[in-house]
Amino acid sequence: MSDGEPQAGQRLNYQDLLFGLFMLAVAFGMTVATWKLRIGTAANMGPGYMPRAIAVGIAGFGIYFVVKSLLSQFKAVEPPQPRAVFGIVASVAVFGVLAPTMGLFLATLATVVVAGFASRETRFVENLLFGGAMAIGTVLLFIKGLSLPVPAWPW
Amino acid sequence: MDLFSNLALGLSTALQFNNLLFCLAGVIIGTAIGVLPGIGPIPTVALLLPFTFGLEPTSAFILLAGIFYGAQYGGSTTAILVNVPGETSATVTCLDGYQMARQGRAGPALAIAAISSFYAGTIATIVMCLLSLPLSALALKFTAVEYFSLLVLGLLAAVVLAHGSVMKALSMVLLGLLLGLVGIDVSSGAPRMTFGIADLSDGLDFVPVAMGMFGLGEIMANLERSDERRVVSQKIRDLIPSWTDLKAAFPAMTRGTAIGCILGVLPGGGAALPPFTAYAIEKKVARDASQFGKGDIRGVAGPEAANNAGAQTSFIPLLTLGIPANALMALMIGALMMHGIQPGPQIMTEQPQLVWGVIASMWTGNLMLLVINLPLIGIWVSMLKVPYRLMFPAIALLCCVGTYAIANSVFNIWLMLGSAVIGYFFIKVGAEPAPLLLGLVLGPQLEENFRRAMLLSDGDFAVFVQRPISAVLLGVAALLILLLMSPTVFRKRKEALAE
Repeated sequence: MSDGEPQAGQRLNYQDLLFGLFMLAVAFGMTVATWKLRIGTAANMGPGYMPRAIAVGIAGFGIYFVVKSLLSQFKAVEPPQPRAVFGIVASVAVFGVLAPTMGLFLATLATVVVAGFASRETRFVENLLFGGAMAIGTVLLFIKGLSLPVPAWPW
Repeated sequence: MDLFSNLALGLSTALQFNNLLFCLAGVIIGTAIGVLPGIGPIPTVALLLPFTFGLEPTSAFILLAGIFYGAQYGGSTTAILVNVPGETSATVTCLDGYQMARQGRAGPALAIAAISSFYAGTIATIVMCLLSLPLSALALKFTAVEYFSLLVLGLLAAVVLAHGSVMKALSMVLLGLLLGLVGIDVSSGAPRMTFGIADLSDGLDFVPVAMGMFGLGEIMANLERSDERRVVSQKIRDLIPSWTDLKAAFPAMTRGTAIGCILGVLPGGGAALPPFTAYAIEKKVARDASQFGKGDIRGVAGPEAANNAGAQTSFIPLLTLGIPANALMALMIGALMMHGIQPGPQIMTEQPQLVWGVIASMWTGNLMLLVINLPLIGIWVSMLKVPYRLMFPAIALLCCVGTYAIANSVFNIWLMLGSAVIGYFFIKVGAEPAPLLLGLVLGPQLEENFRRAMLLSDGDFAVFVQRPISAVLLGVAALLILLLMSPTVFRKRKEALAE
């Protein structure tokens, strides 16, 4: 990750700002989620004691990073490349949907093929063949070899 | 039990035929992933966890440990031959190792790296034996109070000695602790942050989190940088180093081993810090430092020895106290728990065969690395030619299958997906995910011991400084923080971790 062009007089470290805001959001969400839990005293802690203590800590760090980002030099976050992110996310999602319904073989093949879209360098036919080989290997290894109780085929 | 009977027990365990086989498998897999950039020991260990379920815990642990130090070793092979550090710990080896290779001295460089690793591994095994007994004796005196302080020290030290921004690392530990709270509270039975999802009531599985953040998150980040890998094909000859080489390298090896042993035991030490420190020290003590960076053999021997010694001694806190020194050791703890072994000070007395077997297996494993790897270098180099466009779909797939297979749980796949996205975000904003994993694994223990300590002391926080062992542990933790605040140390740390 490289620094963005430092421009004269411009402040704001976007990396720290985003991280700080993320921490604040987490602390807030956590407080809401654990609001009803009994806190108790130190000698007799309720289930809400530690969550509250940690939420305070996380909020504290969140504030620190937000303030720091406003005071420090400009630093950009490199824009994410949608192709890589979506390709990988989609491939895992495909596996999550297909593995329990269509069996391990098709899920494996689909995962490899979809993952291939994450990179510009992928050659489709090569990747398809590779996916087929991986699918055979996975079924042999996990179902025949380790006898995992997961279905291999849709039927 | 004295030292020798322990060692004998360990050796007899490690030398059993099947354990030798698992050790061999571990170091070979380890070396392979060490050679391949883009996949590190953390996702590999996570991936192999389901395979170890059918094994005895000792064999499983021997295999997983082999992967770890095998990877350190494999990383240096590519550092020397291609100037690509397979693992971060081998970055320093690039400096002089690659220069030696360019001068046609790849053979001696590889051999010295192997010999240094083996030498360091042997000494580190002895150090482990010597340190383990007093440490575990001390640990038996631990109550919840001491244990809490130890966990605090462990978490802090892991953060301070790791790469990157300390404040961000501390934040990541807190986020990890938060994730560790998810699930049904043990003492009250109240569900916490489960959002009504039944799969969450037992807490978050750390394997999907680790695979998402370290396996998948890193793929996404890797795909964005498109760096060309050039593979230098070079005939490797003269694998046997000359007498002059050995004589020059030996003192550096010894110093490197000492540095590695010391830094490795510290929580957070592990594999990254020792080689950098060793290189800096070699440069300082050398009478003629002009050749460093241009192919000085001491620049290979010192860091390689430190690297391996550190990798091994980082098992000490895990095996004696049940405290992981880094994210990988956190995974190892998870592996132990999956085999029904509760990590902690009692592990040495309850599972002597496991502890000493693993320690002894490190020595046999190092011997195997020395013997098998030099002839196999051709294979390792050809593995580098596997293009990333085929590697990343395979890694993504293995993460999916591994996660699914561990608990036959579809929920874990979605958990992994979420972790991957968050892990990618962390990489984008410059926060290392490793401390989060430590927090996640240690969180439940931290809370339980804190609660118990408070119950014992009737809510008096002073108990942590009134008990001597606990006070010392917290004192060290405070000292670490103070040191960190002081500007000179801060600059030094930056220099040491730079690169």
